[in-house]
Amino acid sequence: MTTTSAPGTPSGGPAAPAARPPFDPELDAALVVLAEYISPGVTADMIPALRERNALFPAASDEQLTRGGAFDVTERRVPGPDGAPQISLLICRPSATLVPVPAIYNIHGGGMIMGDNRMGMAELVERAEELGAAVISVEYRLAPQTPHPGPVEDCYAGLAWTAAHAGELGIDPARIVVAGGSAGGGLAAAVALLARDRGGPALAAQLLMCPMLDDRNDSVSAAQMAGLGVWDRTANETGWTALLGPDRGGPDVSPYAAPARAADLSGLPPAFIDVGSAETFRDEAVAYASRIWQAGGVAELHVWPGGFHGFAGLAPHAAVSRAANAAPWNWLHRVLAA
Amino acid sequence: MRLAALDPDAGAAVRVIGYFDRLAEAGAGLEAIVRGAAVLAGCPARLADEDRRLALRVEPDGRPGQPDGPPVASWLSASVGPGDSARLWLERPGPAGPVEAMVLERAAAAARAVITRTRGAATARPAADEGAVEVLIDAGTPPEARRHAAIALGLAGATRVHAMAIAAGSRIAPAIRAESPAAAGSPAGGGRRMGIGITVSLDDVPASWATARTALRLTAEGTDDDPGPRCVRYDELGGLALLAESVTAATPAIFDELALEHAALAAPWMLATLHAVATSPSLRAAAAALRVHHSTLQERLGHAERLLGWPVREQPGRHRLYLALALRRLRRHPDPGA
Repeated sequence: MTTTSAPGTPSGGPAAPAARPPFDPELDAALVVLAEYISPGVTADMIPALRERNALFPAASDEQLTRGGAFDVTERRVPGPDGAPQISLLICRPSATLVPVPAIYNIHGGGMIMGDNRMGMAELVERAEELGAAVISVEYRLAPQTPHPGPVEDCYAGLAWTAAHAGELGIDPARIVVAGGSAGGGLAAAVALLARDRGGPALAAQLLMCPMLDDRNDSVSAAQMAGLGVWDRTANETGWTALLGPDRGGPDVSPYAAPARAADLSGLPPAFIDVGSAETFRDEAVAYASRIWQAGGVAELHVWPGGFHGFAGLAPHAAVSRAANAAPWNWLHRVLAA
Repeated sequence: MRLAALDPDAGAAVRVIGYFDRLAEAGAGLEAIVRGAAVLAGCPARLADEDRRLALRVEPDGRPGQPDGPPVASWLSASVGPGDSARLWLERPGPAGPVEAMVLERAAAAARAVITRTRGAATARPAADEGAVEVLIDAGTPPEARRHAAIALGLAGATRVHAMAIAAGSRIAPAIRAESPAAAGSPAGGGRRMGIGITVSLDDVPASWATARTALRLTAEGTDDDPGPRCVRYDELGGLALLAESVTAATPAIFDELALEHAALAAPWMLATLHAVATSPSLRAAAAALRVHHSTLQERLGHAERLLGWPVREQPGRHRLYLALALRRLRRHPDPGA
């Protein structure tokens, strides 16, 4: 296949193919309504306005998070990476359980450039309650103000502190799962790589939801979905450039910034990876799972037909979304029970 | 943020239209259409069709299921097509706001296209079934033929059945169901006006059929021009059944019927208002059902009483009004006989 740099193609990848997977009918219809709030392309000048738009991704209140007293909710300021500011951890622990509980170490999404550690927490804590697990959500510094390695090191530092203080927190250090969606999924994969290469902390599993893994941004799916859905190729370039600057797409990008760059995917905790068939990240997510298996590892991969990026959170009512929202928890239940 | 019930702002109608257009273009099925109605209107939605044996219900969070009882008369609803048995409900009382009205209209249209494409135009059950029902309602049928017909309808083991008289365009279609109406769980009626006969043994189906036809005469379209119940059970009529059986085309109209017709012509709100007053436990309840202020109702009733010639706010005038309205329905549905 020839690769020509079509005018306006940001990363010089393949020209947009004529065909693309169709959106699921219910998701296609949902986009009509969501289009008022979300456009697929994001450029650097849009970042401040996006950060303002808190209504877009509801931030859970403490009251919501306690779930009527089922959870104790606290915020702790803990040491960040060397020479970096302290970071904040939002800690939600089942209030009535005396024995050490499993913990989900959550890294929020937002394309590396927006979001906060309360994003999506209401749903997460609801699911955690069913599992009897704690949820710890890290507030990492955002790009472009903080370029790589700041964000991933913040996430790692929070995880290291959590594991070191497992006893005090009442969590089981053998059952810590790192989880994230979109940019959070990429950061979660990166934290799993760091944990492997730095000899700790131990992770029971990694939950990577529509993860942002590859700064090269030149896959077929990125080209197919240009200008469509949510978080297209242009937005992806914006996010990666904010994180990596001019190094983006070049030869020197660290696997801890872009996990797809890791040469070795062996020795990683069992992974759950999901992605839609009609989103930018499809091909890199599928490739990551494939490479885990090729290295002899354990992974569960779900590619949801007709799903746009983030469909399960943006249109949770749709039949395919209901299935996609249930699958990670079905998997986690099996992983933690093993 | 997520796709949720739409506020009735300027853009809502366009978004509703766009949503169902997109579903239709993408070839969505009935469940997706009903789900769209539920999510956009923010209340449960259901689609039911006796003829085609369809019963779908979806919660506003998208969860699919089955109706757990017959539809409530005050709920918003729309027929899927003129004369069609399939009907779509939003499970909340009227009147419909602009969003609900648009949702009903568009969802019904989308459902019509799917139903006629996948399940054929509205016809009664197959000819063999129809013939068997005709045999059972015929008083002259010998016992052996009666047994064969019951077997053909799957009613061989039934000890308690009831006949139904269903308005189907210009004809009255017979149906037979096992169990008494109270015991049967399925949504009786789907969309059509119907009368439900008394519960009998298989040998006495002709008697149940006669009572079903009588009950049908007391039904109404349930609109402002023709207020009243779409479904009537003979065993709940009491003395009204005697009235119905004694009023034929040859019975001269009484003064009250003529006065009611005269009043009905005077204002578009007249019949619905009188129906509410006749059937509500109090004038305040009637005003609430009509969504008018109590003083508005009083004004209307003052006007109505002048036209009718008797007081309707208290007994016995209210009861006299109730009977006049029942007579009006009987006159609109003279029984053509077996």
